Amino acid sequence: MSEVTLKQVVKAYGRNQVIHGIDLAIGSGEFVVFVGPSGCGKSTLLRMIAGLEEITAGEIAIGGTVVNDMPPRSRDIAMVFQDYALYPHKTVYENMAFGLRLRKAPDAEIRARVGEAAGILQIEHLLERKPRELSGGQRQRVAMGRAIVRKPKAFLFDEPLSNLDALLRAEMRVEIKKLHQKLGNTVVYVTHDQVEAMTLADRIVVLQAGNLIQYDTPDGIYNRPAAQFVAGFTGSPPMNFLPASMGEGGRTIRLPGGVDLPVPARRVAECARHAGREIVFGLRPEHIGIARDGDASHAVVPGRVMLVEPLGSDTLGLVRLGAADGAGEMTGRFAPDAGIRVGQGVPIGLAIDHFHLFDKTTGVAIRGADW
Amino acid sequence: MNTIPAAAADGRRPSGRDLSERALGALLLAPAALLLLVIVVYPIATLFWNSLHGVDNANPAAGEQFVGLKNYLTAFEDSRFWDSSLHTVLYILVTVPGALVVGLGLAMLANMPFRIKWPVRLGLLLPWALPLVFAGLIFRWFFEYNTGVVNDILRRFGVEPLQWLSDPNLAFAAISIAIVWKSSSFMALMLLAGLQTIPKSLYEAAEVDGATKWQQFVEITLPMLSPALFVALIFRTITAIQTFDIPYAMTGGGPGDSTETLAMYIHKTTLDFLDFGYGSALAALMFVLSMAATSGYLKYTRRSSGRSGED
Repeated sequence: MSEVTLKQVVKAYGRNQVIHGIDLAIGSGEFVVFVGPSGCGKSTLLRMIAGLEEITAGEIAIGGTVVNDMPPRSRDIAMVFQDYALYPHKTVYENMAFGLRLRKAPDAEIRARVGEAAGILQIEHLLERKPRELSGGQRQRVAMGRAIVRKPKAFLFDEPLSNLDALLRAEMRVEIKKLHQKLGNTVVYVTHDQVEAMTLADRIVVLQAGNLIQYDTPDGIYNRPAAQFVAGFTGSPPMNFLPASMGEGGRTIRLPGGVDLPVPARRVAECARHAGREIVFGLRPEHIGIARDGDASHAVVPGRVMLVEPLGSDTLGLVRLGAADGAGEMTGRFAPDAGIRVGQGVPIGLAIDHFHLFDKTTGVAIRGADW
Repeated sequence: MNTIPAAAADGRRPSGRDLSERALGALLLAPAALLLLVIVVYPIATLFWNSLHGVDNANPAAGEQFVGLKNYLTAFEDSRFWDSSLHTVLYILVTVPGALVVGLGLAMLANMPFRIKWPVRLGLLLPWALPLVFAGLIFRWFFEYNTGVVNDILRRFGVEPLQWLSDPNLAFAAISIAIVWKSSSFMALMLLAGLQTIPKSLYEAAEVDGATKWQQFVEITLPMLSPALFVALIFRTITAIQTFDIPYAMTGGGPGDSTETLAMYIHKTTLDFLDFGYGSALAALMFVLSMAATSGYLKYTRRSSGRSGED
């Protein structure tokens, strides 16, 4: 039993409130990633769970025990820090053994557990070294080793991969995922990297300016974003946004340059409530392509290719939708053999079922009960 | 593929240029070398020369005869030399650890996250910036029998006032307190610099690992601070060997010679008794003592620069 629950958690520094009442239930053994831009409060929230920051209001419980007034050492958690925070004057072995030694574990048990953790992380050959003799990736492994020897209720990771280069980061990401599959502990993981969030998480918490915007599976975050902020945060390249207006009866969406798109029948009822209003239209690059004849799932718009970016696996093309002045532009993901060229006029197909609509002022997604 | 000429690849330059660069280097070094020669090497050489001669300015008619090691032999038979040396060692043994403990406390206080830092920092800097003689005079007033603040406090608590500066043991204690007060701020400044290099995340990691505040101090602060501690200790020891101003201002070495340090005895021998030969021999002995302490420091820095960038 190692679930982590937050009830109306608030953090304020003096009069400056930075976390505005967050409710969250993290299941036992779940891998949850806090993601958001710098200053969204994700690290603060993690540090409050760890006990390194005081809780201004609300309640945090780990494994069913309210830990608000417990020091970090009593919370039965382990943490991996962004700068690893290895003790420079201790060997790798001593670094990993430190927590157990403080808990007065017998020597034989310490040896066994450090050995086991070192085996899992493949750092047995480094045990007698000092942290300064290790590479970034090795330090990262030691920091994780120090966390897992303790067998805590929950692991807390604070941007653990941000000091590594891109290649190593991808490698360690896989390691962390494997480790979680093997150990099955509850993990709370903070990152500003949406790829890390998407690839690692069972569920993702998207934070913005101290508010929880969406708590959902990676699939839900990506395909059913609750707000424009969430939609724009995931995907590479990110979702395209265009200012738009909702037509009469919620049946059409008008894009810049006078392009009208049909609203799918099942969404008309919801859209009708926004008829005549300014909205934001969003569509992911992979839902933009060259129109095929007789394909009812796509709205067809005359387009012109403005820019081509070949990536190898596919080609990104910036296309202008419509011919009028002020027409909107969107980036689409095309097959490399589609042969699009700059200046070329092509009919563009927009996947109707993947239209994302957001309230212009609040940024909240406009969606029906079934969506 | 580019090929690199062998000469350029190993970083060596043509030898003709080598010479002119050396000349330029020597030229640039010359002013500093000359300065060192005039203000360090020459006085030390003169000191050793004097120590081997009978240079008695109270009796200039005797001339400056070569006396060999006579002055040194005199020192070894001079009980006042041994007494003043013993006093110096006692001051070192009491005030160096004293200043270290007080300085560490002050440094840790100054390193705490106060909202307004400058009063703490100023409090640290003030004793350090104060001239030694002033510090000595201030403490002499503190410990003065009739009007001193220390005896005033004792009287308020109904305790008999003490003869602070006239009792040998109390005078030693009073001087030690003054020296610790004066020198702990320098210690604190050095240790504060050391403390600030310790990443905060280490304490957080230790806290999560289960360390109490005391365990964090023992397991993180002390080992991480040991290079700074060592340097501060050596610096303080070297200056403690030369202890002069504070006892000079507080007791003048009295009562009797009971608080006289080696530096004070040297000062008296040369400037009061004008015996430059003997005074120089005493100074040379003190120089050897200082060098011994300094070499300990040099040995340490050489060892730590050998593993540079490790910690």
